[in-house]
Amino acid sequence: MSATLLPETTSTSAAMRRNFWRGVWRVMRRKPSRMAGVVILAGFILMAAFGPLFYPDHLPSDPDSISRPPSWEHWFGTDPQGRDVLTLVITGSRYVLLSAGVTALITVVVGTAIGLFSGFRRGRWDTVLMRITDMKLTIPSLPLLLVLATVWKFGNPLQMGLVLGLFGWGGVARAVRAQTLSLRERGFIEAARGLGLSTRHIIGKELLPSMAPYIAMNMLIAVTGAVYAQVGLFFLGVLPYESDNWGVMLNLAVFQAGAMITPNALGYLLAPLLAILLLTLGIVLVVDAMDEIFNPRLREE
Amino acid sequence: MTIIARRLAGHLARGLVMILVVATISFFIVNNIPGDPMAARYEKLIEQGMSPEAAAQGVKVLYGFLPTGTLWEQYTDYMSGLVRLDLGVSVSRPGTPVLDVLGEATKWTVLPVLAGTLLSFLVGIVLGVYAAIKRTGKLGDALAISGSLLHGIPQYVLAMLLVVIFATLIPILPADGPVDILFEPGFNAGYIGSLVEHAVLPVATYALSAYGGWILAMKSSVVTVLGDDFILAAELRGMKRSIIFRYIARNAILPLFTILALSLGLLLGGAVFIEKIFNYPGLGLLLINSINDRDYALMGGAFLLITVAVIVANIVADLFYTVIDPRVRSGEEAR
Amino acid sequence: MKRLAAAVTLLGLATVTACSGGSTTQSGSGGGGGLFTTIDVNRPGLDAAAPPNPYNPKGNSFSAFNAMKIGWVKNHLTDPNQALPGIAESWEIAPDNSAITLKLQPNAKWSDGQPVTTEDVRMSIGIAYTQGSTAFSVTPGAAGAAAEVTVVDDKTLKITQNMDNPSPKFARGVLDTTVLPSHVWKDVLPADFWDKLKTARGEGAEAEKAREEITALGQKVLAFAPAKDVSAGPFVLERVNPGEALLVKNKHFYNAANVAPAQVKFLNFTGNEQIWNYLTAGKLDHSGFVAAPTDVMNRIKQAPGNEVIKGYSPVAVGMGFNQSKKPYDNVHVRRGLAYLINRDEVTKVASPEGGTPATTTTGIHQKAAPAWIGDTVGQLEPYKPDPAKAEEEFKQAGLTKKDGKWTLSDGSPWKVSMTAPSGFSDWISAQENIKSQLIKNGVDAEVVTVADYPLYLEELAAGKYDVGFWLMALGPAPYDIYQRLYGASNGWTNVAGKVTHAAPGKGGNWMGGPEEIEVEGIGKINPGELTAKLNTATAEEAKPIMTQLAKAANQDLPVIQLWDYVNNQFVSNSRFTGWPHDDEILRLGTGVLASGVWIQLGMVKSKQ
Repeated sequence: MSATLLPETTSTSAAMRRNFWRGVWRVMRRKPSRMAGVVILAGFILMAAFGPLFYPDHLPSDPDSISRPPSWEHWFGTDPQGRDVLTLVITGSRYVLLSAGVTALITVVVGTAIGLFSGFRRGRWDTVLMRITDMKLTIPSLPLLLVLATVWKFGNPLQMGLVLGLFGWGGVARAVRAQTLSLRERGFIEAARGLGLSTRHIIGKELLPSMAPYIAMNMLIAVTGAVYAQVGLFFLGVLPYESDNWGVMLNLAVFQAGAMITPNALGYLLAPLLAILLLTLGIVLVVDAMDEIFNPRLREE
Repeated sequence: MTIIARRLAGHLARGLVMILVVATISFFIVNNIPGDPMAARYEKLIEQGMSPEAAAQGVKVLYGFLPTGTLWEQYTDYMSGLVRLDLGVSVSRPGTPVLDVLGEATKWTVLPVLAGTLLSFLVGIVLGVYAAIKRTGKLGDALAISGSLLHGIPQYVLAMLLVVIFATLIPILPADGPVDILFEPGFNAGYIGSLVEHAVLPVATYALSAYGGWILAMKSSVVTVLGDDFILAAELRGMKRSIIFRYIARNAILPLFTILALSLGLLLGGAVFIEKIFNYPGLGLLLINSINDRDYALMGGAFLLITVAVIVANIVADLFYTVIDPRVRSGEEAR
Repeated sequence: MKRLAAAVTLLGLATVTACSGGSTTQSGSGGGGGLFTTIDVNRPGLDAAAPPNPYNPKGNSFSAFNAMKIGWVKNHLTDPNQALPGIAESWEIAPDNSAITLKLQPNAKWSDGQPVTTEDVRMSIGIAYTQGSTAFSVTPGAAGAAAEVTVVDDKTLKITQNMDNPSPKFARGVLDTTVLPSHVWKDVLPADFWDKLKTARGEGAEAEKAREEITALGQKVLAFAPAKDVSAGPFVLERVNPGEALLVKNKHFYNAANVAPAQVKFLNFTGNEQIWNYLTAGKLDHSGFVAAPTDVMNRIKQAPGNEVIKGYSPVAVGMGFNQSKKPYDNVHVRRGLAYLINRDEVTKVASPEGGTPATTTTGIHQKAAPAWIGDTVGQLEPYKPDPAKAEEEFKQAGLTKKDGKWTLSDGSPWKVSMTAPSGFSDWISAQENIKSQLIKNGVDAEVVTVADYPLYLEELAAGKYDVGFWLMALGPAPYDIYQRLYGASNGWTNVAGKVTHAAPGKGGNWMGGPEEIEVEGIGKINPGELTAKLNTATAEEAKPIMTQLAKAANQDLPVIQLWDYVNNQFVSNSRFTGWPHDDEILRLGTGVLASGVWIQLGMVKSKQ
């Protein structure tokens, strides 16, 4: 982190970048589990992007084989409409990941912007923004979402992502502000000013890169949070559903198919649960790797 | 001491403002909720075999409990009631003050949340120290990863897995409510035994889903402390390992207490899933049910109470921080 | 820190003892054989703080257990006035339905030892007025309202009907009234209540004021909280916690000697899946109707001792059309859809155990239809699945088929958009299945869910949906059956026998059907006015009217009747036996828990 603190010439920063990737590769190689994490994440992204293309808009259903247990034909059985559960997980992943992506983007963009602005400007703006942030962090988001869901139908993934994102930026804003302040304390901004660099340059070229890994980690964590929240809301059944989604599957599995009672429908419950677990695992492993790459204290002595 | 008093006063003032803001927000959201609860109740009565006219009249009487007047009048009524701790009349429970309903539900949320959080805190801290010290080893690594994973798994996933395993596949634990009615309530073995038996699964879920977070927090806290100069100095001076360990533990654990206070506040609101799955009659379940019943007063009350819990937890956490952090205590601003 | 550790250790210890405590619990509840476990399917969520007040929506008053009605009205196909004895031992109904004379049980006593008197019944009738009931209504000119309540002697009461607008189900309305102890409730009604009631029945401003006062009393009644449960039923409330309610036997009950269980435990539930759980675990001795998928049903049946008794439930579900929206205003489109939807398949997917596919659309439950309209059922169009006929109908409606997909007459795309409230899993299943069937036949379709039932009903009434599901055929009274199709939801409001028609989209008229229908072989009819006539018609007078209405419904299809519900009663033979299988007593009165009636009449026996 300290390496980026001083302005460098282009050639040194290119060398830095090469070193950085070499470091990444080393960290990755040391624990194969981290590679697995990257593979899992990539797999999910591919699944969400291209998976649904392999299936028709309207999935075929078979009224003669409803709620079947897992078999060779249907690896996780069929749902109460006689559709293949695995197919539903794949087609449902797009909604989940798309909205989680939107959430993460909003969380990070809004959080970083407010945090940077607040920490960079300080003074009255800082006080006002941090009061708002505090307030946001204080209102419990899940109960508010429950109440809000009755007024605003955030049915499509983009709206859902937007809502969750607007609920989630508080933590990032605080953390980024603290980082900015600490960089500032080290006299770094004054030094840059002294060199005659513009504010845009200081923020864009110096502050942001040094915080980028931290922000990226927060983004991944925001993704898990978003998946958690939206799947949960659909599971509780407070949201109307328009498309297939893992939370809808969980809800129907428990409240319609009785998956907690009959083993036949267990596949229907377990498939989305496993998908969530796997996605969480992937993210955790990647975050673990990033943590070590960017946190010098955790680097081995 | 005066600094603490001043901070406390500031917090209380800000807390009050927050409560007013939240009460206002919840009032307007709740009053804009679409849906016709009277029609729903009417349909229900008809389905039970009541004649259309009788059902219509019955619904009219029940919903006579709804406040009348313009929105602004209702708002001022609500806010002035709030000052007297009067949260209005619940439609689904006519005659029972909302505060009483909330009190009853809070009881059932607080106990398991407290038990589960403290349990996970203790286990998490011990394992966290271990994970920090052995962070290069296989076991420490596995602990850290399992911590992250458990931290990342949604509570409802854990809860459902526990229900499937312990209440459905191997039915050894109940997942239906808080206590068996056959036992006379009071301080007797049967009643308390039944209470605890019913609390095992919810408490286990809270504990399991939270302890991963504690491992991570404790680990990073210990790692930070390990890098501090005084540890190095102690090591150089040749102090006994056990004494050094105590130094580390004490210094690393302090920041975690503030997180503990915060998480207790947040858990009150996050109990929705666990209470829904275990059919546990706490605040979260009350909130969901009041939404389905369109019980506006109850909904607003539950939401307000949950927020107040978070605000109080924030104040406690901050005061705690003030007390333990020498920099703050000596008058310097914490941030 | 140390104290904290000690607290946590204690908690840990408590957890360990809990596990050992669990086994004693189970043996404790199984022992004795006198514990009857059930649920109140009408009311999810027990509330420990709620009073034992039958009118309180969360009240801990369980009809037929610790709350008694005058009689327990049966689920007869055509005669609404048949009943089993409750607080009244017997009764006589005047041949012209103008009066009913009640004879109370000679030995009926409250759980505090006081006898049940005619004053109790009279006061209960007064309380019923404040809540609104069929027989006891302050609405001026309401059909089937009582005129006079006279105490004949200390065990006899006579209640006469206001014959200005008489209803054949007057006696049913009287019998289906909860009886409350006047020595507990005496202060709820003011001393001048009966005078006020008389004023309220009149006309003018004074009557209006009196009616308002009585409605205000209704709120007092709802909120009334007796300190202790005083019950004339077989049981009395002992205690409630948020998870369960415990009732113990009322030794003063008139038939206490024949009441098998010594204790009754009501379990709490918030969703169907919890009831399934109780049932598969064999925990419940009885549960009323609950929808369950086939797999769950099989698990329930497999549990030792469990039995499912199937009965008749006067409820059906239909796919209702908003006829103000195109193309649903065209009867040929509705008929075409009826030919496309295979109701057998829909029922198989959505409600295999809780419903029977509708034979055709009549507006009446298939079980009651022969009794009301006789041979006409066979003459109606059955709408058997037939894509060719559907195509013909669609063509007649001016729709065109392009690339295998049906489009509106102007060539714009047509998508059948069906809406259901989330949580109504059988409705959503059915719509998903219908969507599949329609898409297979070239009609684009979608299913939209809304957050919950209150929202669904509001938006439905506001005419926001094209197609929605609608409960229908709610019997047993003919008027109740047809007002679901030709009542307020289709524009006709019936106030005191005067029928008015609201334009589509106004006053809750979401179906928006025509005011008059040309029915083949009958001519032009006004279905709303015919329906209103049913309210005062005797059974014999009702039959020809219902035949006309059934023909109209079948031909005009304001809704497509999909399936008729089956009244599944779940019982366990492990601890108790003697469960009745007679259709007529598997469903008894508004909100009545049937097992309570079976127990109090001594039908249910302990197995020992």
